[in-house]
Amino acid sequence: MVLLEAKNIEKHFGGVAALSNGNITCQKGRITGLLGANGSGKSTLSKIVTGVYFADSGTITYNGEKVCFRNPIDAKRAGISMAFQNLSLLPHLTVWQNIVLTFEKKNRFFLNNKDAKELSQDILDKFLPVFNISRTVSQLDPSEKQLVEIAKAISENPQLLILDEPTAALEQVQVNALFNYMRDLAAKGVSMIFTSHRLWEVLEICDDVVIFRNGKNVGELDFGKNEKSPDDIIKLITGETETIHHVKTYRNTADETMLRIEDLKYGKFLKSVSFELNKGEILGIGGLQGQGQNELMLALAGNYREARGDFRLRGKKINLTKPVNVIRSGMFLVPGDRQVEGLMLKDSIYKNVIFPKLAFKKQPVFTPIKKYKEECRRIVEKLAIKTESIDKTVDTLSGGNQQKVVVGKWLNFDTSVLLLADPAKGVDVGAKRDLYQFITKMVEENNMSVILYASDNEELINYCDRVLIMYEGKIVGELKGKDINEEAMISMSMQVNVRNGEGV
Amino acid sequence: MHTRTNIKNNDFKKLFSRQESAPIIIFIAMIVIVASIQNNFFTPSSLGNSINSFAPLILMAMGQAIVLVSGGLDLSSGTSMALMLCVLTRIMREDNPVSGVWALIVVTGVMFGIGLLNGVAVGYLKLPPIIATFATSYMWLGIALFITPTPGGECVNWMRAFFDFSAVNNMPDGLKAFGAAVPTSVLLIIAGCVVWYIVSRTKTGRYMYAVGSNRITAYQSGIKTAKIQTTAYVLNSFFLLLCALFFAAENQAGSARIGDPLTLQCIAAAVVGGIALSGGRGNVFLAIVGAVIMSMVSKIIFFANMPDAYQTLVSGVIIIVAIASSAIYSTMNERAVLRGGR
Repeated sequence: MVLLEAKNIEKHFGGVAALSNGNITCQKGRITGLLGANGSGKSTLSKIVTGVYFADSGTITYNGEKVCFRNPIDAKRAGISMAFQNLSLLPHLTVWQNIVLTFEKKNRFFLNNKDAKELSQDILDKFLPVFNISRTVSQLDPSEKQLVEIAKAISENPQLLILDEPTAALEQVQVNALFNYMRDLAAKGVSMIFTSHRLWEVLEICDDVVIFRNGKNVGELDFGKNEKSPDDIIKLITGETETIHHVKTYRNTADETMLRIEDLKYGKFLKSVSFELNKGEILGIGGLQGQGQNELMLALAGNYREARGDFRLRGKKINLTKPVNVIRSGMFLVPGDRQVEGLMLKDSIYKNVIFPKLAFKKQPVFTPIKKYKEECRRIVEKLAIKTESIDKTVDTLSGGNQQKVVVGKWLNFDTSVLLLADPAKGVDVGAKRDLYQFITKMVEENNMSVILYASDNEELINYCDRVLIMYEGKIVGELKGKDINEEAMISMSMQVNVRNGEGV
Repeated sequence: MHTRTNIKNNDFKKLFSRQESAPIIIFIAMIVIVASIQNNFFTPSSLGNSINSFAPLILMAMGQAIVLVSGGLDLSSGTSMALMLCVLTRIMREDNPVSGVWALIVVTGVMFGIGLLNGVAVGYLKLPPIIATFATSYMWLGIALFITPTPGGECVNWMRAFFDFSAVNNMPDGLKAFGAAVPTSVLLIIAGCVVWYIVSRTKTGRYMYAVGSNRITAYQSGIKTAKIQTTAYVLNSFFLLLCALFFAAENQAGSARIGDPLTLQCIAAAVVGGIALSGGRGNVFLAIVGAVIMSMVSKIIFFANMPDAYQTLVSGVIIIVAIASSAIYSTMNERAVLRGGR
């Protein structure tokens, strides 16, 4: 039975068409995957279905009736809930206040907080055992926030549940718990729309899949009838006729030490981290999420004044107490949240790329704009950033291209170490490959080193020469060359879990 | 290793690392200082006088706190309070007790008018609160000056109850005695607290925090943000009305300029109390703490016998120290946790 059918949906933002011909059909009790590169119109379509945006043209039929939701409240009342990727949680409210938000029940005069807490605890118990729901959302880590977001959508008892990249911030165990719960919901007749950049997840959980490219449907596959072929799907997503598998070459890194970190401590996040980074090496940081990887990257970039330890770059002692010191010594961070920490979104590509140069290199009295624009164009070309002009603002670029601008900022300098904090998060398959290929090339040409933290193990496996596994702020394992594979990494991150559970 | 003292110690630490603890520590310190320089601070009559002189700022800061929590700001609170005061004293005739009733009816209408206009400008028209309320503040001042060009007006005798029960003729002796023990200003503040307590336990109160936390997200969650923001401004207006009633009863006259210095003071009081200007955090009770701290500052300066010329400068310094110390206090706490490795 068809629950929802959206036909010929069109949506323009300013003069740009975000969606030129969007179609999707949801069957009752089935999970429909929505695939596509960033900016292909998936999120726009989801938001139109939930009433966040208003379609320029097209029809939506829901439960056999033509509908037109003016706002998210209308959609929720009709039984359509969405868990947003850029979370819809309110940071200063507690977890349970967020979950029952707009569905609060009263007992006689006042809000019934007891029932609200019980309801929230019941749902969260399925993903997050032993979780204090009275904390405010601002105190949670990203994966917890994402699960609360999902719990919130589920608590509304929807007929259609839209999950926009719910797994991007989750670790494997949590993804499995979520998938189990999704299957339960589907068995109860709830329809779901699921989007993810991780293809295997879509293959695992979805009953059928719709693929988007440039605001249009380019394919629909019913896994009941069609074969699950990743290569075919990637072809549809990228529009390329041939998919290129990354062929990994294990490079012999010179035994010369580039960076030596000894006994790095930072609060409860980092407990005595020590490692060495060789010249020309791509060193991966892995492990379950939230084990101090992000803090390690930020500490190395000089963001924590309270970080303690002994740090040497090319044998010379360096000071990690201020970002300025770190940048001057040739270590650059590509931060995790590029839109907030890495870019000035409303400024042009030119300004973003040249800005660090103005800040950290001696400048003539009058800025040689022409010369700098030329340099900026070279960098844009080198990184193959897709844009009409370097004067376009950064927020007009897609996620992958934005990330390239962040990397491009540091091409003005001689780089010793590049710190990459989850650079491919929310970047589509094609752009991800481009980005990593460029970084690999950079490493080979410039004799520099890279520390890469990625939440997706596949990226570490494909591009790293060595991987360190972190657990509770400590490095608990190391994998080298051919030993780096999914099983080894997961078992290394989990074994510790088991041991800890026994209370050793 | 988890002995009992250990746990207690941790709880103690937790108590002191809470964000609200900094203003409360300053609050206690201020009372100690004032009590030590003013010998009779704790006698009932002096305490009553102190509270009466603090009350207007406290009431205005409470209203301001509600607006701040819901993500707004009210730069018109001083002039809107003055406008209500002028309306009251202009309508009332000392020899006609019924005129007090009329005045109350009209001023209630004015209260809603002010709150709605500010709320519509900020909530529905989405004007930046600073600009919108700055503009409306001139409107209120203009109207107030039109009604009361020079300070003046009258107050009916029964309305003096808003300042002091014993000032009212024919007041039963029991109530007079009660009034002598508990100043009316305390009752007004308690009334304000009760109103906030009730509101904070309804959807409207919850949603104020939601809107202040992030307006766009709140809107997308299905909250009528404009309505909530307007409600916050109307509630603020209610607190300003309480303040206007207090002034009318105390001075028995109105002045269009009486609220001018209070606007920024009440915002500063809310901030000293630990309410975030960015919205979504704090409550009315913290505003009271902040307002008392602010009032203590002028008290200290008064009792320190400082030359007039330096008073303003010193009060500025004390206020900035108060705000900075609460900020420094919380960063120091954080640092200590991070350094300690625990």
